[in-house]
Amino acid sequence: MAGPFHLQLDHVTYQYEQGGKTAVKDMSLAIPRGQFVALLGHNGSGKSTVAKLLNGLFTPTVGTVQVSGMDTADPKFVWEIRRRAGMVFQNPDNQIVATQVRDDVAFGLENIGVPSAEMPERIERALSDVNMLEFADRAPHLLSGGQKQRIAIAGILAMEPEALILDEATAMLDPSGRKDVLETVRRLNTEKQITVVWITHFMQEATQADRVIVMHEGSAVMDGTPREVFAQADMIRGYRLDVPPMTKLAETLRSRGIALSGDILSVDDMIGEVRRLAHRA
Amino acid sequence: MPIVLENLGHTYQVGSPFQATAIQNISLTIADGELLALIGHTGSGKSTLAQHLNALLTPTTGRVLLDGQDINLSDASKKAARFHVGLVFQYPEHQLFEETVIKDIGFGPRNMGLSQDEIDARVQDAMDMVGLPYDEIGHKSPFELSGGQMRRVALAGVLAMRPRILVLDEPTAGLDPHARDFLLQDVKRLHSEGTTVVMVSHSMDDVARLATRVVVLERGELAMSGPPREIFSQVERLTAMGLDVPAVSQLAHGLRAEGLEIPNCYLMEEMVDALERLLKGGAPDVA
Repeated sequence: MAGPFHLQLDHVTYQYEQGGKTAVKDMSLAIPRGQFVALLGHNGSGKSTVAKLLNGLFTPTVGTVQVSGMDTADPKFVWEIRRRAGMVFQNPDNQIVATQVRDDVAFGLENIGVPSAEMPERIERALSDVNMLEFADRAPHLLSGGQKQRIAIAGILAMEPEALILDEATAMLDPSGRKDVLETVRRLNTEKQITVVWITHFMQEATQADRVIVMHEGSAVMDGTPREVFAQADMIRGYRLDVPPMTKLAETLRSRGIALSGDILSVDDMIGEVRRLAHRA
Repeated sequence: MPIVLENLGHTYQVGSPFQATAIQNISLTIADGELLALIGHTGSGKSTLAQHLNALLTPTTGRVLLDGQDINLSDASKKAARFHVGLVFQYPEHQLFEETVIKDIGFGPRNMGLSQDEIDARVQDAMDMVGLPYDEIGHKSPFELSGGQMRRVALAGVLAMRPRILVLDEPTAGLDPHARDFLLQDVKRLHSEGTTVVMVSHSMDDVARLATRVVVLERGELAMSGPPREIFSQVERLTAMGLDVPAVSQLAHGLRAEGLEIPNCYLMEEMVDALERLLKGGAPDVA
């Protein structure tokens, strides 16, 4: 019954209580298995609500949300959906429940009733997937923010999920912690074909995605590859977002009559393009 | 009337098994009118240093002088330092607690024992300074506001004490791009109007835009200090410390490695000019 799409929103509207704010408006979205999607939008644009709709924490007021063909509004699928689509939140400190890393990872497994004999192996595999195995017996509260987030991801991985939904999981981390977490998730996506929905305010992180979706006032207003989306700098700014610094630089240079070709997202893109032009001049 | 740190050191939980030295041997003068950015890897001691500037932490070695006076001499001198030096913590919106925005911002001035008229005037001023409309949101609960607005309420609460020196610990962390730009504009304006600012930040693009001087901490010690141009030209050293470098500095470094004639620059406008000269004007250096 699983259609071609892994995560699917069909004409979804979500309203916080009767007469409350409509956070998502008639939104349709289909994410194929294994895709890495960056979801952007200013505060209040509805992106966190979409994240919570995708793993059944919220059920739509109107419309349907499906995870691998399972309707999130159907109570019999609730636990199966949460296991398959795991969620990582912004504050690493709010996600730690145990005094030892190993027990923290075990928490989710206990909840879904994994036999205890099976646990150690699943825990160690999950910790090794996020390069944290050597910390298995440490106290999680003494780890760095980036390490805590990787433990939170391991807790989900142990449940053998098919999708990871990360709601600003790097917002409170330092640059090296952010890089570690993004690299970890990117690798899990390629190696295990885990579908990823990556919500962020860092435009540079979004350049690493397969697909970028911009939300504004509860709807998806832009949808394409990072190059397609960031090429439309004025539109991005209209949605109170920004473009990566090198895209901004390319835009200014073009306005001064320098014919940079292609869509520039990174420092490496810019070096390549300047080299090409300089050696031709 | 600068702040002078004399051989400052701080060790947490001295004598316990958890004893840890966060900063040591730090000598630094923060001059009036500077916008000093304090950068360093997580655990390098930035926040510990910042919390000494208003006597929130007492040094375990060395002294902190404000206007030539040791701020840790007595309870009275510590209290005075807190009125002169305003500290805005990381995620300060987590500390909002009053029923209304006006009461929350007025908390500091009330503690200073000011008259109600003076408190009201200062709250209005502080809200103006951070671009919060008094009539529209003053009587709302701070918890009804957006994340960016809550951050500005917390900043206004410190500004209402009219500090001469403002210390900001990661002021833009967790904000969306729009809210971040708004807050940085506030900081820039306060600085241009004469407030000395010390800003702890991981965001090198923010630091490049604002700082007049950059101080780098590494494992609790002062590793580098200088104008942003000088600090950000040392791309390899900063990268080795696990720090980010502004995108423009990375580009300048990469282009020079290609043998192209690009001056040492870190600001977007400078890079635009440099590339315009290289690609349109003079003879490029073709290897």
